[in-house]
Amino acid sequence: MSADGDAPTSVGLSSPRIDGAEKAGGKAKYADDLSAPDMLYGAIATSPIPAGRILGYDLSEARAVPGVVAVLTAEDLPQRRVGSFVKDETTLARGRVRYVGEPVAAVAAETREAAELAAQLVLVDYEETPAVCSLDEALAADAPRVHPEQADYARQGDAAAEGNVFWSAEIVEGDPDAAWAECDVVVEEVYETPAQYHAYMEPCSALVEPDLGGRFTVRSAAQSIFYLQGRISEELDLPMARIRCVAPRIGGGFGGKNGVNVQPIAVALARVAERPVKITLSRSQDIEMLRSRHPARIRMKTGAKADGTLVAREAELWFDAGAYVDESPAVMSFGLLCSRGPYRCPNVRVRGHAVYTNKLKAGSFRGFGNPQATFASESQLDALARRLGLDGLALRRRNAMAPGDHWLGGQRVDACAMRECLDALEARMAAEVPALPPPEEGWARGVGVSGLSHISGLMGTSAAVNLRSDGTVALSTGVVDIGQGSDTVLPQICAEALRLPPEAVAYAAQDTDSSPYNWKTAASRITYTAGRAVMQATVEMRQRILEHAAELLECGVGDLELAPGGAVRIAGSDRSVSFREVAARAFNRIGGPIMGQHAFAFDGPRFDPKRAAMSNFAFDNLGVYVFGAVGLVADVDRETGKIVVQKVWSAHDIGRAVNPQSAEGQVQGAVVQGLGYALLEELIWEDGRLANPSFMDYKIPDGLDAPAAITPILVEDAPEETGPFGAKGVGEAGIVGVAPALANAVADAVGVRLTRIPMTSERVLDAIEGRASEAPASRTA
Amino acid sequence: MDHAMRFAEPDSIEEVLSLLAADPEARCLAGGATLVAMMNAGLTAPSLLVSLRKLPGLASIDPQADGAVRVGAMARHATVAAHDGFAGAQAILAAAARRIGHPAIRTMGTIGGSISHADPSADYPTAITAADAVVEIAGPEGARAVPADEFFVDWLETALAPGEIVTGVVVPPDATDAAVHYEKFTRADGDFATVAAAACVALAEDGAVAALRVAAGGVAPTPIRRREAEAALIGRPLTEDGLAALGAALADLSDPIDDMRGSADYRRRLLPRIVGRAVRRAAAAFTARSGARSGTGPQAGGVA
Ligand SMILES: Cc1cc2nc3c(=O)[nH]c(=O)nc-3n(C[C@H](O)[C@H](O)[C@H](O)COP(=O)(O)OP(=O)(O)OC[C@H]3O[C@@H](n4cnc5c(N)ncnc54)[C@H](O)[C@@H]3O)c2cc1C
Repeated sequence: MSADGDAPTSVGLSSPRIDGAEKAGGKAKYADDLSAPDMLYGAIATSPIPAGRILGYDLSEARAVPGVVAVLTAEDLPQRRVGSFVKDETTLARGRVRYVGEPVAAVAAETREAAELAAQLVLVDYEETPAVCSLDEALAADAPRVHPEQADYARQGDAAAEGNVFWSAEIVEGDPDAAWAECDVVVEEVYETPAQYHAYMEPCSALVEPDLGGRFTVRSAAQSIFYLQGRISEELDLPMARIRCVAPRIGGGFGGKNGVNVQPIAVALARVAERPVKITLSRSQDIEMLRSRHPARIRMKTGAKADGTLVAREAELWFDAGAYVDESPAVMSFGLLCSRGPYRCPNVRVRGHAVYTNKLKAGSFRGFGNPQATFASESQLDALARRLGLDGLALRRRNAMAPGDHWLGGQRVDACAMRECLDALEARMAAEVPALPPPEEGWARGVGVSGLSHISGLMGTSAAVNLRSDGTVALSTGVVDIGQGSDTVLPQICAEALRLPPEAVAYAAQDTDSSPYNWKTAASRITYTAGRAVMQATVEMRQRILEHAAELLECGVGDLELAPGGAVRIAGSDRSVSFREVAARAFNRIGGPIMGQHAFAFDGPRFDPKRAAMSNFAFDNLGVYVFGAVGLVADVDRETGKIVVQKVWSAHDIGRAVNPQSAEGQVQGAVVQGLGYALLEELIWEDGRLANPSFMDYKIPDGLDAPAAITPILVEDAPEETGPFGAKGVGEAGIVGVAPALANAVADAVGVRLTRIPMTSERVLDAIEGRASEAPASRTA
Repeated sequence: MDHAMRFAEPDSIEEVLSLLAADPEARCLAGGATLVAMMNAGLTAPSLLVSLRKLPGLASIDPQADGAVRVGAMARHATVAAHDGFAGAQAILAAAARRIGHPAIRTMGTIGGSISHADPSADYPTAITAADAVVEIAGPEGARAVPADEFFVDWLETALAPGEIVTGVVVPPDATDAAVHYEKFTRADGDFATVAAAACVALAEDGAVAALRVAAGGVAPTPIRRREAEAALIGRPLTEDGLAALGAALADLSDPIDDMRGSADYRRRLLPRIVGRAVRRAAAAFTARSGARSGTGPQAGGVA
């Protein structure tokens, strides 16, 4: 194309994270590091019981604590119920409490200590009512209702609500009832997965500053400044014009900061106190008050021909949503959509139910319903392969989707490197597994694999870009970097489209006053969707740069090309103008910078009603699919049940890695989080109260628990035509297949299959020794 | 309601003792790893914290004339873990210290704090029980010394009387020059033990067990030992049957609980297996060490 070839200037390079040194050096400022003159501290009083009516409050003792400035209950707030799918939530509990840890009252005081003490002294008169603290209790015929008022709530769709089941959905393809007769083998099993805590490093925190004009500036740990702005507006009956949300550094989210957390409460306090208020949750409060991954029970049945060709799949999913709907219809629907997995299977019926219980609400969490479904699906494929005497990878390859195939629901998939991922995984494992040192004496080694897939897309986003007078570039989006790397990767995309090095692009901090709209940092969507918007905005600006340059060089736009490093030249010549000269001209001629902007919502293939019957599905249009495969080697101690994962390989159909090191980091982090889910992590309720709301009792894997090697394999064989430079997302996919790969490895090692995670040492030993497990688990009286 | 907490940092034992004597709600503060965490969690609210940080001589590890080693109450876990002056069975303290929590906890926590807190899942209580150490105590009635066996009374309860503090732990010399192994089974790195065992083993030239001390933690309200079951293995080669008998004897004495780390049933099953590992590994270490010293050494290190 040009004299200097097509060597990339930015995309495909592992540029260091823009915030890397700052974070590694302990200099990054998170919400709790910020303060404002005259600031008050907020604290939240929470429900001590899983279910009950609020009969009254006595706030006198709380108000009497020296330094207390404001004490609020639901009676002081607008009478509104909010929620994306069902309007069932209030900022502070109104009339009823529905889980231990639910915010009931809020206090602002001169010191943190005074605020916390006053919060403890808020006296609430409760009348306890019967609670349902498990799926079984919630689904019982005469179960008490978590929301007796449910019928009065405003909601989307009718979604077949019944009892504590507030959303049921179904997808049917082919003729599953007739298909079982064609199967040579059928396997059926019930799988159970736990409530996992997001365990982001930064507990939720917000600093709210009111100004004299009646506006509130909110700096907080959130995955979207715009969603947050809208939600505060709705909860507190404030116009969005009076709410400004700004993103400081965010210490991880994983979906847990997708919705609101303490921000509306902090705004409500700042509003009455007329002073800045900061609320930072303790780790235990963060665990007890906010969200977890949905615990799930999945009954699944799969039938195949003797050669391994899949014929039919049936599944019923129950997702325990906790006390409020939040994003559960979407999470459960997405779990349904992933219940066939990345395989061809002509006859499918999957049904799902989201169920209220008197527990912490369950919400979005890396994988979004998919890890639960995939644990069932990929465990079942392995059981099927064993029954048929087939190799697990071969069975998956036989059924793997290919470009042009359709996802469950009928969406056509154009870019798909599923087979390439299976091949790449197989090749690496064939070379590296035999080279591992043998297991210790008394330990049994197993190898397990899983296919995986996920979405990348959803909803709207936008970007704006302009050329500064010195020829460098200012890029602006509304994307919040929660640690996944968008502050680094989006400028890389912009830079590449202009053949600039990444450092020539300055990326603006996110602020609802000035940033273009973005929905959320979620759904593995940022590189793909925001990257597309950045690309289009940059292309638009590039076109104008060329037009100005053509006038300067007195030639046609068609004669021009970009030269690396910020210049435009006449193709095949050495006549050029620099971006600086072009920019200077623009400032003179048009009175300001050359700009580009673009807004975008996913516009690719949709569900196809001719292929699938879908009822009450919580999504309309999704995004592109990503594929992959994970394999691992695990050793199992026959004496204690302990599992040690030696090595993990995770192959990902990423389209194009904009920043390979960053993508690898996402995969490695997701694998470790997946191992936590598979091995250790489970929130446990005893009689409606969390029994392990601290890192003393709730364990996540640390550096020494992580396998010595996690090898990401980035497969770039199937660029996504619509994505920026072919890229699609990778943020969530890495977690999806880890738990089933490990269950498959355990089955390989010791011949027993665990259908329930986490596979704690105790559960594994119980399975090996064939006894009913007394391992720690949620229980009710 | 008065929620102000006072803080004192005296530089003499006498002053510490008189401050503690004057206020039953006062607590002494060592590394703070446990106490401050409990305060943060709202589990305790002392009226006065008396820091032991400035007391002279409390943080050192000193060899005694008779071969004993005195570990000061304020010695940090990391200091004990790195100490190379332990001989024979004494080294079980260092082996246990190396397995406590994370590096941050090991630079913070102290032996005095750990044993005074007396969590049966903690590592030092089990280790000093195996080492037959003696706890030095200072109090309003004067100083006294209590053997580890008698120091741990119940779940989070010690022989310390109100107003008394631990000043040090004296680890007796080990004439048998045993090798040690601390076997700790956890859910995850840095966790407290689900079950742990401390073993000190010496072997004779012919491979027979010459000396054996084993304590188990995490399985009862205090660390447990069965001296008669240890004695039964002396003078004979180490066998799986012998180890099973020792494990069974300890299991008889155990009284585990259900908690987030595992059920009582699981702990009961783990106990003999972890004990077996600890003893086998200590024996193997003994063999390896004497082999390295003499070039020959006893034959049997593993299990006959
Ligand atoms: C995250 C974490 C992980 C941990 N993991 C482990 C582990 O794996 N294994 C393990 O064994 N421990 C573990 N611990 C506990 C740790 O070892 C503590 O340091 C120890 O238990 C207490 O020591 P301290 O010096 O910090 O005592 P402090 O917290 O200061 O005091 C603890 C208690 O002992 C009293 N006390 C302190 N010193 C004396 C004294 N000299 N005389 C009388 N009373 C005294 C205090 O008043 C207080 O009641 C962990 C702790 C944390 C926070």
